[in-house]
Amino acid sequence: MKSYLLASLAILFACCCVGTAFAADSGSGEKEMLVFPEAYKAMNVSNGGTISGVVKFEGDVPEKKALEITKDEKVCGADEKFDESLIVGEGNALKNTIVYLIDISAGKDFDKKAKIEIDQMGCKFTPHIQIVPVGARLTMLNSDKIMHNVHIFSKINKPVNKAQPKARRKMPLQAVKKAEGPVEVKCDVHGWMSAWISYVPHPYFAVTNEKGEFTLEDVPAGDYKLGYWHEACGTNSEAPVAVTVAAGGTVTQDFTLKLK
Amino acid sequence: MRIRTVALLLTLFGMLIVFNFAHAQNAPEASEKGKEVYENSCAHCHGTEGRGDGSAAENLLPKPRDFTRGLYKIRSTGTGELPTDQDLFDIITEGMPGSSMPPWDTALSANDRWEVVAYIKTFYDGFKEAETSPKQINLSGKVAYSEQSVETGKALYTELGCVECHGNIGRGDGTSAPDLTDEWGFQSWPANLTQGWNFRGGSDTEDIFKRFIGGLAGSAMPAFEGDSFPGFGLTAEESSRMIELDNKDEMTEAEEEESAQLYEKYDAAVDIALNLAEGTELSAEEQQIYDDAMRVVYEKSWHLANYVKSLMPEKRPEPAIGNNVLRSQYIQDELPPMDDAAWGTLEARYFPLVGQIVIEPRQFNPTIDAVNVKSFYNDTEVAFLFTWDDRTHTTDETDEETGKTLEDALAVQFPVKVPQGPTAPKPYFLWGGRLPVYLWHWKASAPEQVTELTAKGINNAEAQAAQGELHVQSTYTNGQYTLWVKRALKTEDKKDLQLEPGVFVPIAFSAWDGANGDVDTKRVMTSWYTFVLEPVPSSKRFIYPPLIALLSVGFLFGLRAFVQRRNSEEI
Ligand SMILES: [Cu+2]
Repeated sequence: MKSYLLASLAILFACCCVGTAFAADSGSGEKEMLVFPEAYKAMNVSNGGTISGVVKFEGDVPEKKALEITKDEKVCGADEKFDESLIVGEGNALKNTIVYLIDISAGKDFDKKAKIEIDQMGCKFTPHIQIVPVGARLTMLNSDKIMHNVHIFSKINKPVNKAQPKARRKMPLQAVKKAEGPVEVKCDVHGWMSAWISYVPHPYFAVTNEKGEFTLEDVPAGDYKLGYWHEACGTNSEAPVAVTVAAGGTVTQDFTLKLK
Repeated sequence: MRIRTVALLLTLFGMLIVFNFAHAQNAPEASEKGKEVYENSCAHCHGTEGRGDGSAAENLLPKPRDFTRGLYKIRSTGTGELPTDQDLFDIITEGMPGSSMPPWDTALSANDRWEVVAYIKTFYDGFKEAETSPKQINLSGKVAYSEQSVETGKALYTELGCVECHGNIGRGDGTSAPDLTDEWGFQSWPANLTQGWNFRGGSDTEDIFKRFIGGLAGSAMPAFEGDSFPGFGLTAEESSRMIELDNKDEMTEAEEEESAQLYEKYDAAVDIALNLAEGTELSAEEQQIYDDAMRVVYEKSWHLANYVKSLMPEKRPEPAIGNNVLRSQYIQDELPPMDDAAWGTLEARYFPLVGQIVIEPRQFNPTIDAVNVKSFYNDTEVAFLFTWDDRTHTTDETDEETGKTLEDALAVQFPVKVPQGPTAPKPYFLWGGRLPVYLWHWKASAPEQVTELTAKGINNAEAQAAQGELHVQSTYTNGQYTLWVKRALKTEDKKDLQLEPGVFVPIAFSAWDGANGDVDTKRVMTSWYTFVLEPVPSSKRFIYPPLIALLSVGFLFGLRAFVQRRNSEEI
């Protein structure tokens, strides 16, 4: 009986005597988010313009951080894996930056044929950044023949936490109703696996490639705010770039980003 | 006759349903009263704004629930659903075993608890915005517990990947266990399925089933509802065939074809499930496919729940007090080594461990539940077998904050001198004080060695000059340590405890889980318990006490007979 008493005491003690450092923490970890228009109307766009450019990284490029593979070494550790939160290529090209129109209210519809998939291969999510139209299903692929656990840390939509056993090669996920993002995707089985999903209400989103390039096509002529998001470099939501697109014209807008 | 029985049963069944309906209540409108009760009783841990960041939250793990996200672990509802009011009421009433959430059944009136439920719901708008009441998990297809069902469940346990976190036989020691975090980034240990008494939401088969189908929202435990089952839409035979084909290194053309067809059927059923979840109306045919698929999934889930149930004892063992005092069993022969079958003939004694919270640094979030002990002795020696569950085998890890080396360990504590009689003072339970204690200290980094210590306080322990009187064996398998220690009953060392049959000796334990940051005073422990070398009636030295007892009983019987005879004579 004494030991139960001690347990009760432990709880009591915990409840009474301790500091408040924890309280100050909450909220500070909040990730910067994309900004979406209040409403969006899909329509035919003819003679639209193009916005394109290159995103570069400025500053000392930190050394690539190798990930520690702690389980399923045969499948996961076949090649060396690196942290993907910052991938800087030749000429300081910055991969995986989302470049998008913040305030567009009408434009083209989503490409209905586009595959919206994230593969889990070699215990890594590919792509690292995925754009998912609101109302569309994201399909999780499992090329590994081991178990993964798809854990999407949504806050506006309901979070997803679904095991994908080894026999499950394709796992479509329920479409979400609200725009949100980026939200992190993790695998609880392999703690190092990480990717980002953005549920978006319109198709004017691009993710930069290895060369840091992006292109937004079929933009109806007009004035827009051009935003970006990068996992390690943050956003420009506070001060987006203004661009003017002429019918059939091309606008070039480059960005140079620094670590947050 | 038979019809009447059926009618009676139906009536009873009906009453049961009505009763169940009457049982599930809804909370009243949120009121000032609820706010007042919340702020007095809940806010210390859960925070005035329900963010789980009250002043006491810092040291608690699992963390107090953050109510602003609408994520509740213990629900009767499906994945992605909010809890029912009754769910919230039940948690407040019953508390959450294994966490710091106590039951409030006596501290708060039922009325106050309902008010609190209403108030808690105001922290998350989703409750207000919900158009329909949350969908509850259907428990009607329960599969009765049987060996067959447990077998089926066991296969699913591996197939579905439960082992990854919960380990081979459920001790929470899976290879992913150390890396799990919850929605808020805090460490989240998978349940040790052999310790049902620590399950947050209870350990009835129905509870297990609900956690499995609905997941524990906010934790790493995923929901295994419907379409996440491998082979959704297939019959049990078809899905095992699908997995069988998957596991083949090479398939023939015919097998490729067969596999593809199974996958096609599977994908089609998943599509239907998603359509339904997204609000698309199903055709009658689709509904049929969905219902059939769900029947299979639910049946499998009951098998799995039965398997998990089979991993735990019916209830938490009684602590080693009263009739359960640790009694070392006498044998004439050589004492059995660690892996000897003879140990299986003894019933273990259960010593629950709690966090050490008297001296800094403290342990508020213990991960080791208890140490189980068995013992044999013969004319010259005593042997102990200690077992305890620890999810991780830690021998050499560095604490990021303090730089100290973390490792798993166990210490067994005795007084140096046995107190004479039950009222005589014992040394202070925290490693002694004015009265010293004698300790056996075992560490995972030196598994074949136990150090003898003498201590006069928790920070005042010294290794004895004379070591090496102990024989030690140990193993770590499937999330459990086993430690075997043998010593002579009598030693030459004056600082050792000397043992004698029939004498009650205080005993206490400390344990460290390195992966949980346990080091030095940060540990789990017990206060004093008792152990005794059980005297043997056949041995002449111990014949007198039982003889006296026997004689007394005989005398009492005689007296009773005498009194009875006299009474009957009087009548
Ligand atoms: Cu994984």
